[in-house]
Amino acid sequence: MDELELLKKDWNKKDSDFKKLSSADLYAMLQKKSSSIVKTLFYISIAELLFWIVINSIPYFSSDSYRERLEAIYNNEHIITALTIFSYAVILLFIYLLFKSYKAISVTDSAKKLMESILNTRKVIKYYVIYNLIMAFVSMVVGMYLTIIHDPKLSHVIETFSNKQLIAFIGIIALAIVVFVVIIWLFYKLLYGLLLKRLNQNYKELKKLEV
Amino acid sequence: MEKELEHSFVELLEKHQNIVHKVCRLYTNNYDAHNDLFQEITIQLWKAYPKFRGDAKFSTWMYRVGLNTAITLFRKSKRRINTQDFDGVEFRMKAEDYDDTEEQQLKTLYKAVHELNDIEKALVFLYLEDKDYKEISETLGISEVNARVKMNRIKTKLKTILNP
Repeated sequence: MDELELLKKDWNKKDSDFKKLSSADLYAMLQKKSSSIVKTLFYISIAELLFWIVINSIPYFSSDSYRERLEAIYNNEHIITALTIFSYAVILLFIYLLFKSYKAISVTDSAKKLMESILNTRKVIKYYVIYNLIMAFVSMVVGMYLTIIHDPKLSHVIETFSNKQLIAFIGIIALAIVVFVVIIWLFYKLLYGLLLKRLNQNYKELKKLEV
Repeated sequence: MEKELEHSFVELLEKHQNIVHKVCRLYTNNYDAHNDLFQEITIQLWKAYPKFRGDAKFSTWMYRVGLNTAITLFRKSKRRINTQDFDGVEFRMKAEDYDDTEEQQLKTLYKAVHELNDIEKALVFLYLEDKDYKEISETLGISEVNARVKMNRIKTKLKTILNP
């Protein structure tokens, strides 16, 4: 006899093994909160949005003197306004994309489609993180450069550097910035890697069937 | 309105709860994890219920949501104190139903099925539940041909495990 037929015969006999839940038990379950990966993903994306909004808002909400200095460094207050508007526009765009991709996740789709929708949401978050990391990288480099140029004390110190010292100085700063960006990136890789490990495995398995 | 919806949902779920139990039996191996997954599937079913249209059978719809939750949405249970495996055959059934070899074969089979990966389990589950390849392929989002091919491979795999 076919092994699965043997299993099938037994499988359906065992229905009575389960502890029958009463409607009261089921009502109680409806009050509980879901702990699905979509929910976790949702909370993480909200946290990401808030985190980067706060980071983006630091110049805006910081003290007047700091702003004045920033404006002096950039030499033009319009640049700061333009950058602020741009960064908020990007955040709004991501909020819209995230909202759209969450809406597309449906538990009644096929397994493959559901996995794709979740992976798509994860992709939106990934792009958001990449965008922010690039912005952080660029603004740190530019900020550092402008500070060196505009800070009389610092530029005076640098003038006394030999060529070797100057290269070492730039190298250390560049390394610090790269390390900072890489650490944040690894943190995200780990976070999403752990959360979506099983989903990725199963998605690969489904894709493999199509080859 | 909400109350009515809740009432009709609980009534249907109570009637078909074995489907959820069976998914949980396949994808978990201890009592706590079974309950956690059951609860998550119930929540997912309830969240999707307002969009449930009567033209599909409630049970058919449950298979899809149940499997999707088990394969994709469910994060493994955090409670792992009780890790004692229960492999179906252990806690049940009068011995007279089976002769020793069949009993032994079933035990090995259940164990083998538990060791399959999530997707293979889903295929076996739908097969055991007498679903045709059209429904299997639609539930998983693969073609009918691929579902058949995969199912045959699983059968061979199980055969090898049983008759090494």
